[in-house]
Amino acid sequence: MTIEQLTNEFELARPQLKSYILRITASIEDTEDIVQDSFIKASQKIDRFRGDSSIKTWIFTIASNLAKDNLRAKKRWTENVNDICRSKALTDPNYFPELMQIQHTSPHGQFEVKEHITFCLACISKSLPLEQQICILLKEVHEFKVSEIAQILDTSEAMAKYYLHEGRAKMISIFDGRCALINKEGACHQCSELNGIFNPKQNFETEKNKIEMAKVSDKGDKEHLLDLRLQIVRETDPFSSNGSELQLHHLEYNRRAMENYPEKN
Amino acid sequence: MTSLTSNGKALTIKKTFSRETAVSIDIQADKSIIWALLINASDYPRWNSTVISIEGIITKGGKIQLKSTLDPKRVFKLLVKEFDADNKLVWGDTMGKRVYTLLSVGNGLTNFTMNEKIGGPIFPLFAKMIPPFDKSFEQFASDLKKEAETIGNAK
Repeated sequence: MTIEQLTNEFELARPQLKSYILRITASIEDTEDIVQDSFIKASQKIDRFRGDSSIKTWIFTIASNLAKDNLRAKKRWTENVNDICRSKALTDPNYFPELMQIQHTSPHGQFEVKEHITFCLACISKSLPLEQQICILLKEVHEFKVSEIAQILDTSEAMAKYYLHEGRAKMISIFDGRCALINKEGACHQCSELNGIFNPKQNFETEKNKIEMAKVSDKGDKEHLLDLRLQIVRETDPFSSNGSELQLHHLEYNRRAMENYPEKN
Repeated sequence: MTSLTSNGKALTIKKTFSRETAVSIDIQADKSIIWALLINASDYPRWNSTVISIEGIITKGGKIQLKSTLDPKRVFKLLVKEFDADNKLVWGDTMGKRVYTLLSVGNGLTNFTMNEKIGGPIFPLFAKMIPPFDKSFEQFASDLKKEAETIGNAK
């Protein structure tokens, strides 16, 4: 492989790679660094690429390893991350003014429920063990094959399947217990709360009915509901969607809150 | 244990000073999937209907606390005595030990065997207080087979 080939392949993969690393790290700055370092590392190791995998899989392997190093000393989030961060935001006098400023000045400052669903999944997936989170993102969002995921994680296909299965089971359980979009008893109404703040003239029920996952939630197929949720994530680029700046600000806020949780004295 | 076949049916042999129950079943899944299920303590209640909870880390020398549907009020404090990845796991206490064995038997099949022997000099005094394990063992093996094959068959 020549450096030109690598550069071309890398640029093709870059948008997906950025989304993937962002959802793992929840940090824009770390994402930019890891993506850049991945290119540098790939360039340095170009002679070692033997074609055992696609170039894209190889690039994702390098980036995944850098992301794992980045997260090694950081604790995983908890599944009630949105409750913790909501409580913090409600007592933070700067939180809503900052978001309102973004909404009024940024071309990517719209609040859309679908985008908040992708934000929410990014947060909840950080409560899974890292291998499970990586497997779910690679398989269900970036559509890698299990064999490619096994290469990226340097594990067996069997273990990749296990991580994927257990991660999915946990996500289903968490969303089923928490998300009011699919469970009337769910404790988390954050998307409707925020929609009421940012889009006060919208009828939330109308917005909710535009979302297939919410429409079919009473049919009880929990696997299918997770698939529909992941489909929304697949269709949303967190760096270029209509409300990307708003949601990125929100994600950064949550990351800082979780890094300091329980509050450091 | 002799006469044990891989049909998921438990077999118990009672002696004066011991009781031994075993079950064996063939599972259409890679050993590493079954092993992962056996060593992930917190995940047991999700797939195994005989386990209420397992706290602790299942690793060599690890101490775990197991609550079973066999006797929900009791917490079994157990020590992981052997941990041979993908092959053999043993945990137990002074009363007895449970042995899990995995063996590849070709065509993607893995033979799973679970064996528990309890006993000792005072075993006859409390033998009647210990419920039979057979149904619980059969359910354990069946749950493990179902879960491992579901994972193994995933695309």
